[in-house]
This record gives sequence, C-alpha cells and structure tokens, in this order.
Amino acid sequence: MSKEYLGEFEELVLMMVGILQEDAYGNAVVELIKERVGREVNLSAVHVTLYRLEDKGLVKSEMGGATQLRGGRRKRIFKITNAGLAMLQTMKEMRIDLWKLVPQLKMVGI
Amino acid sequence: MHKNSSNHTAPAWSLRFLQWYCPDYLLESIEGDLEEQFEQDVSSIGLRKARLQYTKNVFLFFRPGIVLRNKFSLQLFNSSMLQNYWKVAIRNMARRKLYAFINSFGLSIAIACCVLIYLYVMDELSFDQFHENKDRIVRIHSTSFDEEKYKEGDPLPYNTSAWLPGVLADVMQDELAEVEYVTRFNSGTEGVMQHDDKIFKQSTAFVDSGFFRMFSFPVIKGSTHKIFRHTNEAVLTSAVAEKFFGKEDPIGKTFSFFINEKADYVVAAVIEAPPANSSIDFEMILPSSSRPYFENSAKQWNNFSYPTFVQLRKTSDLVTFKPHLDSLIQKYMGPSYDRTRVREKIPAEIKVGEFDYIPLTKIHLAPHISWHKVSDKKYSWILAGIGLLILIIACINYIVLSLATSNARKTEIGVRKVVGARPGQLINQFSFESLLLSFMAMFTGIVLVVTLLPMFNEYTAKSIVLTFGNMSTVLAMMLILTITIGLTAGFYPAFILSSFKPVTILKGKNSARLQTPFAKAMVVLQFTLSTLLIVSSVIMYRQMEYITSKDLGYDADKVIAIETNAGWNRTSDEMIPLFRNALSQERDVISVAGTSASFNRGWSRYGWQVADENKWAYVFRVDEAYLDLFSIELLEGRNFDNTADSSAVIVNEAFVRDMGWTDPLSEYVNWQEDTVGKGSPVIGVMKDYNFLSLESEVEPLFLGSKRPDFGRLTTILVKLGPGKTPEQLSKVEQKWKQTFPDKPFEYSFVDEDVARQYQSHERWMKIMGISTSFAIIISCLGLFGLAGIESLNRVKEVGIRKVMGASVFQLMVLLNRKYIMLAFIAFAIAAPISWWMMKQWLDAFKYRITLSWELFGITLLTGLAIALITVSYHALKAARTNPADTLKYE
Repeated sequence: MSKEYLGEFEELVLMMVGILQEDAYGNAVVELIKERVGREVNLSAVHVTLYRLEDKGLVKSEMGGATQLRGGRRKRIFKITNAGLAMLQTMKEMRIDLWKLVPQLKMVGI
Repeated sequence: MHKNSSNHTAPAWSLRFLQWYCPDYLLESIEGDLEEQFEQDVSSIGLRKARLQYTKNVFLFFRPGIVLRNKFSLQLFNSSMLQNYWKVAIRNMARRKLYAFINSFGLSIAIACCVLIYLYVMDELSFDQFHENKDRIVRIHSTSFDEEKYKEGDPLPYNTSAWLPGVLADVMQDELAEVEYVTRFNSGTEGVMQHDDKIFKQSTAFVDSGFFRMFSFPVIKGSTHKIFRHTNEAVLTSAVAEKFFGKEDPIGKTFSFFINEKADYVVAAVIEAPPANSSIDFEMILPSSSRPYFENSAKQWNNFSYPTFVQLRKTSDLVTFKPHLDSLIQKYMGPSYDRTRVREKIPAEIKVGEFDYIPLTKIHLAPHISWHKVSDKKYSWILAGIGLLILIIACINYIVLSLATSNARKTEIGVRKVVGARPGQLINQFSFESLLLSFMAMFTGIVLVVTLLPMFNEYTAKSIVLTFGNMSTVLAMMLILTITIGLTAGFYPAFILSSFKPVTILKGKNSARLQTPFAKAMVVLQFTLSTLLIVSSVIMYRQMEYITSKDLGYDADKVIAIETNAGWNRTSDEMIPLFRNALSQERDVISVAGTSASFNRGWSRYGWQVADENKWAYVFRVDEAYLDLFSIELLEGRNFDNTADSSAVIVNEAFVRDMGWTDPLSEYVNWQEDTVGKGSPVIGVMKDYNFLSLESEVEPLFLGSKRPDFGRLTTILVKLGPGKTPEQLSKVEQKWKQTFPDKPFEYSFVDEDVARQYQSHERWMKIMGISTSFAIIISCLGLFGLAGIESLNRVKEVGIRKVMGASVFQLMVLLNRKYIMLAFIAFAIAAPISWWMMKQWLDAFKYRITLSWELFGITLLTGLAIALITVSYHALKAARTNPADTLKYE
C-alpha cells in the first residue's frame, strides 16, 4: 500500500475515475467535475493528473472507443486499480477519524 | 468512417504544434479529447471562439507534465531507431561526399566565425570586471561648453573629458563624505630609465597612494601598504623589473628616471601587470608628485590634466554623491564658469560646465569620453552582424542542398512511410541527420577557431587567449550554436521531406528541379548578403588605397624621427645642431631637422581673439631645415633664417583663408594676445599639406622657429638618401651613440607613423575582406552543389536537346540562365543597401572617394563572374556528355 500523499485535485480526479467506471477518459472527467462539483477545470490539467495517477499506480489505462465525434481517434480509458480504491478508502477513513476528533462544533445561528 | 463529422476543422498549425511536442503514446487520446471538446464548443460558443479555445488548450497542454514524458519515449525510440538513422545518414553522406563536405565545411566556418565574435564581445564586456571594488569605483569627468558645436547647432554643445584639475582629487578627499579613496592617474608619460648600464626608454604612470587600495593589482614582491610616504618610491611591473634588474631582487634597489630632469627612485614593490582587458594600464608607477610641472599644475583649477578616480564608501549612496560633487564644483569653479559665460557670451540656458562620474566598469564602452583604451559598442554590433550574415548563408546552403538532394531520398521516405513511419519520426530522422552534420562541423570549427585566433587578435587588436576557463564557455557556446544550427537548418527540409506523399513517390513521379520558390528565395538572399559584403569591402579597399596614395603635400619618404628623450627644455633644442654636425660627414644623410612634434606624434593648438572673434590654429616649432626636408612648398615669402626671426612665423593657406588676408606677408599673428606688440610677423606662406589625418581637412597652422613659446624641438628628423636603409640606419645609430651616450636611440619612420593613423580603418577593411571571402566561399560552395544537382536532374533533357542539335553554348546558356537571373535580382537588392551603408562609413573621412556606379558595375561583374564560374563547371560537364550515355538505359 502506497503511503504516498494525494493532492486534493488528484483525489477528486481519482474519485471521478472510480465513478465513471468504463467511461473514464479526459473529457468525461472534466464534464463530471463540472456537473457534480460545479468546478470548471481545464482539460490539460485533468490529463496531466491522470498520467500522474497512472505513474503512481492508482489508475491504469488502455486505448479504446473511437467515435466519429473525435475524428476517429481512440480514447484513453482509465480504470481505477485496487491500489487506487484502497487509497480512496484510507483517505475517507482517515478523514472520518479526524472529523471525530474535532470538538462537536455546531453551526450556531445568529 | 474515420472522417470528421463536421466541416469545421480545428486550427491546423496548433494541431501540428501539439503533434510536435506531445509524446506519441499520448498523442492520439489527447488529440481526440481536444477534438471532442472542440466539436462541443463549436455548437455552444461558435466556430471562431472554439478555434481560439482549441489553440489555447493546445498551449495549456504544453506543460512539463506532458512534454517531459517525451524523454522517456525518446529514449525508447532512440534505442530502436537511432542505429538505423545513423547508418542511413552515414551512407547518404558517403554517397554524396562532396555535398556533405560543402555543408559541413560551410557550417564549420560559420561556427568558427560566431565563436570568434563571441570571444570578442565577451572580452569587450569583461573590461575592468576583475577589481574587487569595481562597483564602488568611479571616474570623474568634466563636461564643458564647446563654441564650435554650438555654432553648428548641436543641441548638446558640450565636450566631455576625463582630464581634470589636479587639485580636484585633494579637495574631494577632504570635503566629500562619500569619498573613501581617490587617485589621480596619468599614464603613458615616457622618460629614460637607467639602472647601472641599462638605459631604455620607459613609459610610466603617475598615481596617488589611494590607487593601490582601490584597484586589485596583485603585489608580487614588496609592499604597497605605506607606499609613497616617501616621494621617491616606485612600483614596477614584473616585466619592467626583469628588464632592468634581471634575476636580482629589485626591492630596495635604486634607479634613475629622466623626464625633464633626472631623479632617483627606490623600488618599493613589484606588482602584476594589468591584463589586456583593463582600462587602467601601466608598465611602472611613480607618485603623482613626480609628474613634470606637478607643483604648478596640481593646485590649479584651470589646468585640466589629471584623470581622477574615486572609490566611494561602502555605506555611501551614489544618489547623494552627485549633488555633493555639484556643490563642490560650484564652490571652486563657479566664479570661473561665470567669467567664461560673460567672456564667450554663452546664453543662460546653456551650462558652461559641470562635473559628473562614470562607473569604472562602463569606461571601456563609453567612446564619448576619450581614453586611450576606449572602444565602441558599435564594433561589437558590426562583428555580430557579420557573424550572423555568415551563419545565415551557411544555413541556407544546408537547406537548399537538402531540398535539392531530396530527390534521391524520396524513395527512402516513401518506403519508410509505407512501412509505417509517422511524420514525427521522419522529422526526427532528418533533424538527427542535420544535427549529426553540424556536430561534424563543430569539430572542424574548433580547429578553425584555434588556428584563426592569432589572426583574429591581430585584426581586432585584442589579445584573447583560449584558457581552460574560457574554453568551457566556448565549448558550451559551440554546443548551443551547433544544436541551434542543426535544428534550424534541418527544420524546413525535415518538414518538406516528411510531407511527401508515398503514393506519388513510389509511382515514380520524380521531378526535382529547383522549383520551390523557397529555394530560389534562399539563393537570392544568399547572393544578396554576399554581394553586400563584396561591395563593402571593395569600397573600403578603394578608400584605403586612396588615402595611402594621396599626395599629402609633403614627402616623408625615408625620413626617420628620433626622440631626443631630453624633455621639454633647452637641452632638446641644443641636441639638433649637435647631431646635425655629427652627421654632416655622412654621405647617406641628406638633411637633419628638428620639430616639436613629428606627424601623428602629437600636436598643439592655440586659441586667441582677433577683434572679438575667437581664432585658433595648430602650432609647431620647427627649425630652418624643416621645410626643405619634407619638400613643403613655399608659395610666398621666405623660409626661417638661421640667425634672426626670433618670433617670425610661416602660415599655411588655410590660415590665410581663415583670417581673410589679402597680403599675408604684411600681417602679424597675435597669438599670445600681446597688448603692447603686434605679435609674430608672417614671413612666409606655405602650400597646404595634410599635417593631420585625412579624416579632417587641412586646418589653420603656423610654424615658429626660434622662441620656446612655440615649443621645444623634441624630435630630430633625419632624411636618408638613396641606398640600403638598414645600413644607413646603423650608421645613424652609431653616430647617435657617440654623440649622446646616455640617450636611447628610439626612432620611427615618418611614413609609417602617418599610416598608423588609419590603423583602425585598415583593420576593419581586413576584417571585412576576410569575412567577405568566407561568405563568398560558402555561397560558392552552396551554388556549386546546387548547380551540380540541377544539372544531374536535367541530364536527360540535355541529352535529348543535344540529339535534336543543340550546341554546347546553347546548353550552357540554358543551364546558367536561371542563376544569372538570380544573381541580378540579388544585386538589385544589395546595391542600394550597401550604397547606404558605405556612405555612412565614408562620412568619417573628409577626403574620400566618390561612390560611382562604375564601382557597382565592377562588383556586379565580379559577382556574376564568380557565380558563372561556379555553376559552369557542372553546366559544361552536362553539356559535353555524350547523349548516348545518358539516354541509352531508357
């Protein structure tokens, strides 16, 4: 299990790859982030992050799914690996653990 | 199926850019994603914005996260394909040895030129950088009103000079808080130095003790710590120490130094000589107080003869220095400035004068303030320009030749493409080839640099040496240059070659005439640059020839000038008759004369007022033998008489014109503004002769003979008769040693002195000449190669024409016509540019050749002839081949 640190954006992208399953490629991730998080991200940033995740072994990729819309070019489909899933898992748990340590803050009204 | 669904296309060049930098294994998906987004954008924000967005995205992808992934992929592909590229490149070069040679040799010359010029520029920039305190040392200079410039309408009618009142140094040290150390610095004063039996002429500098605290000249022996507490101390450089003291330890030894009078000095220290890139240069150093006339001049504010350097305190601010300096100057010079303003009627808005400073490190490239080692940035630019021209010419060669030889490579490209090479790979391959070639060129280039450096040093008056230190930067520079050349020269051919369509190539549709307008344009450009250089160097040569052969109005043939080395005094005057007597028995000596300054060995100028008008003229003191010795023609009046004429003068025509005299022999020159007498009577008028450089006109001049006010006769002129000069010289030397045993025999030929005035022009002419020949060689090599390929391609056409009855001459015309056209076009472009450039250069001379069309005609013919000779070899060869040989295998 990698102890490597995952940045916020990396985590977000990794999550999206997990959500999108068989259809996770650059544009789809951009769209989904926009749709779900409401954040405009740049395609190149997503690509670079995906490659970095791949370097870290959290996702793997293969080519496939050419459509006419893309001028006949294939997509690079990313898939989350077990390591990636485990990473997401640990991060989530760690966050919950930490959250528990925060004194019971209440949103107090005015 | 694989076709774009819409007619809207993304910007092609951004796509190409993406293809260029993007690693192959990522390219497809990125391209796809971009395309997809582009299609979406087209429908949501319109085509124009979508295209913009696309380009923006391509640039956003150009980031390390993508581009750096190339390295990995490059290594992968290198290991598999590099061997193949290497083999193919070597085979190709081996097959066309001549073209490989032309290309690499051209590039070698270009690389060598650029490196030499780089060394030159670096040397210029390195001036005075070696001083530890360089950032705190400044040189003070004065700016003063110049009436001449004002009359000519110059908006800044000032003269700037680094020669300042001697007292300024003391006053600054005492009164300005910012000043830490200060020194006066006078260099180049010559005297006679003697230790035991060693007597030589020696040049010395005069400084104050602050000098050794300010400047970083390492001390080898002795100490400069308490230097000049005793005013008879001296500091020598090691070369001078060795010259006079040999192997023995010079510290504490005594020598005598004679300038105006003899004085003894003790050697206190030996220091390292200043390097070639130092503005401060000296061979030995004496205290300022030993300088002739120091007592008189060093306390005055109106005697400008001491360059002054200041080191500011670490804590002090340059911002406050200038105003403080200003008020100091106002305090001491203010009244004198006011008087000058009244006397010369200077309008209120013009400053009479002011003092300012310039940082030590900027002195070298500030040509407006005269200094003996000053230079001009202009020269660096000119050289850089020449280097660039040669570089362009060589690169063009490579491009044109690769395009022209592409025919033979077409099949290879076709096969590679069919087998599956991507355009990117082919581009890589051709870039690799051109890099390979330029690396080969680099090695020849290094050899060229090493062999050409001495010549380069001579022409640029530099003393650059390749040391271990600068060798590394030179190599780095070469590497950068090589890679740049390799890539830029290989870029265009790589693109063209990789874009061939495999189908057309392999079907056998081969035609490789020089059709591309690009190649033609390149040839024209190349020829234009060469013509430019040819015209410039021909004109420079003509001008220099004109100057050196112009009748100067005097005859300096076989005249030698001997320095009396006795100082500015009576002793000098008396040496002339003594030496004349000594030589009177020599049959080889025609005459002996004395003068205060021989040609290009200094001058003096006086200014005085005549009826409220400022007049000035050059003044030389000569003796009665002078005019005859130089065969200077007297138009009116008579020569000086041996006995009388104590204050009489002889003037030149320019003087008469300037004064507006009609009967000069009845006039007087009141140059000392004598209120009682009338001044010096004019006893003769001589024909104008160029006593100054031909860069200026003949200025007003008068010669005086007897009174020391005119000067001292510090130079003895000896005119030798016909015969062998070396033998005559040794006879004169022998007599000199007999007559003046304590004076060194230092002589120079007057005509050589005169020629030395044009040294820098001569140097530039040589530099232009060399670069022109380089440019011509490279262009001709290129043209030669091109013509060869062209005639090879048309070999069948020529064969058929021959069969149909064309003569060799007709074929020659056919094959050469195009080049002649190109040469003409190039000439038409180059002629006006070079005409303009040379006009600027010639403006430096008052006596100059006229730029006639005949000159350009000659250049055109020369250029054409060179081009024709170059291409004719191939044309003739093609035209003379037996058509049967070329046609039979069809």
